[in-house]
Amino acid sequence: MYEMIGVWCVVLLTLSIFSYLYGDNPFYKAAEHAFVGVSAGYIFTITFWDTIRPNLFGRLFPEAIGAGFEFDGTYIFPLILGVFMLFRLSKKYDWLSRISIAYIVGIMAGLKFYVFLNSNLLTQIKSSTVNLSGTYFTIINEVIILIGVISGLVYFFFSKEHTGVIGKISRIGVYFLMIKFGASFGFAVMGRISLLIGRFEELIEFSKPEYYYSTPAVLLFMIVAIGYWAFRENNSPIQD
Amino acid sequence: MDRINDIFIKLGQLDRRYIFLLIALSVLIPLMKPNWVNIPIKTTNNTEIVFNEINNLKEGDKVLVSFEYGASTKPEIHPMSVAVLQHLFSKGVKVYTVPLWPEGLMMAKYAIKEVVESKLFNIIEHSDYVSLPYKAGGEIVIRGIATDIRSIFTQDVNNVLFDEIPMMKGIKSVADFDFVFDLSAGVPGNAEWVQFACDEYKVPLSSGCTSIMVTDAIPYVESGQIRGILAGMPGAAEYEQMVYKYLNDLDANKFINKEAAIIPGKATSRMSAQSIAHVLMVIFIVFGNISYYLLRRRNN
Repeated sequence: MYEMIGVWCVVLLTLSIFSYLYGDNPFYKAAEHAFVGVSAGYIFTITFWDTIRPNLFGRLFPEAIGAGFEFDGTYIFPLILGVFMLFRLSKKYDWLSRISIAYIVGIMAGLKFYVFLNSNLLTQIKSSTVNLSGTYFTIINEVIILIGVISGLVYFFFSKEHTGVIGKISRIGVYFLMIKFGASFGFAVMGRISLLIGRFEELIEFSKPEYYYSTPAVLLFMIVAIGYWAFRENNSPIQD
Repeated sequence: MDRINDIFIKLGQLDRRYIFLLIALSVLIPLMKPNWVNIPIKTTNNTEIVFNEINNLKEGDKVLVSFEYGASTKPEIHPMSVAVLQHLFSKGVKVYTVPLWPEGLMMAKYAIKEVVESKLFNIIEHSDYVSLPYKAGGEIVIRGIATDIRSIFTQDVNNVLFDEIPMMKGIKSVADFDFVFDLSAGVPGNAEWVQFACDEYKVPLSSGCTSIMVTDAIPYVESGQIRGILAGMPGAAEYEQMVYKYLNDLDANKFINKEAAIIPGKATSRMSAQSIAHVLMVIFIVFGNISYYLLRRRNN
């Protein structure tokens, strides 16, 4: 019974989102709002029960929570910073939340600086070098990568006007960037089509008699409802 | 000639809803009638690298599988998850799942459930696999796993303490794992695993990700920081086929119940629809560009 209700909800919400392709309509709006509400509720609940309760309260009140952590008084500071974040809701005390945000920004900046330097800069520079002991194919590949890296960097070098040799190298950089954007666009299209396939597969599955033809039934209902809504919109008097 | 030009220009001004309809039909028809279109799938180098990396794991090796995707990207990533888990369990590898996205918790649960219910593998929770709960924090959680996993996790997803789980004995940080496999659809994802854990602690990492992430992940693959990549649905379909063939060719062993049916994965059947839609997109792009060029020339 509950599974069937779930199936009909899935079909209704999927078709409601698809209905935006026709135009903005009440089904789309309702599905969008439901998505935002459910997502926020789900994330809040799971974060509280899986993170805040065991990892924070579990260290402050280990006996009561029983999450396997020992008492650690220093966790009072994360608790205070967390409470400060809630003051974003207050106009008078919202400055307190900036302390928490500053802490997060500081921690992340420090962590990111090191890992980015190590993994994205040093290792990437190392892998951009040409290994002359490889096969002809790999050497050609690595030379192309090296040209792409240098010309791409020159394109983003704005301290000198892009004329003459600099201009020509930056032009090559532009071509490499365009190829990258083209590849990204192609992959983006592929990703979106994959998601469409996923939704359609479920809609086809739920068209079967064991699901009481939920897809065609909901589709028909929505077409009639959107048609009626569009008819009413067209015939309503224009308001200033 | 002018007549042909007019047709192209009109095609360029076609109502976008017709394009949506054509795309929908190009996806719907191959899904409803799979026998009409059957496009063969060739494996690519990156998929083969992933397969070989997992295939080289030995019985008892410990693999951390990270779930960073949700319902919206399930069609692309979930087939990879199931195929990777099947491959790992067929080798007698110990699997540790960790969700870094709130929805990843459900995805990990569904993937494990699908593999367990197939009855293909003789696996028991806490002996062959353990599911860790979701923790908020993204990169910070990865850093915690890298340095001291027990500072963040003390229980599994069913609130069983690590001390009561035999598989968790000796697991203190990411360095205690033999391999990390990341299934990602955004941030935190494979880049964060490279940066915050696997690069520094020299733990081999492979990844399966959404198509849209591939161009950002390829530099890590080229440099060897990520060992091969399953790129979107085609990557999933290629890997599924390799695992399907591998499981069929495999002799019965203590990890596999050969009496159970080996069912091909879902990504493979989706590839025909994907290919037809791509052909249509290419046609749209070509027509759109011709139309734009002709319109610009006419206006000049």
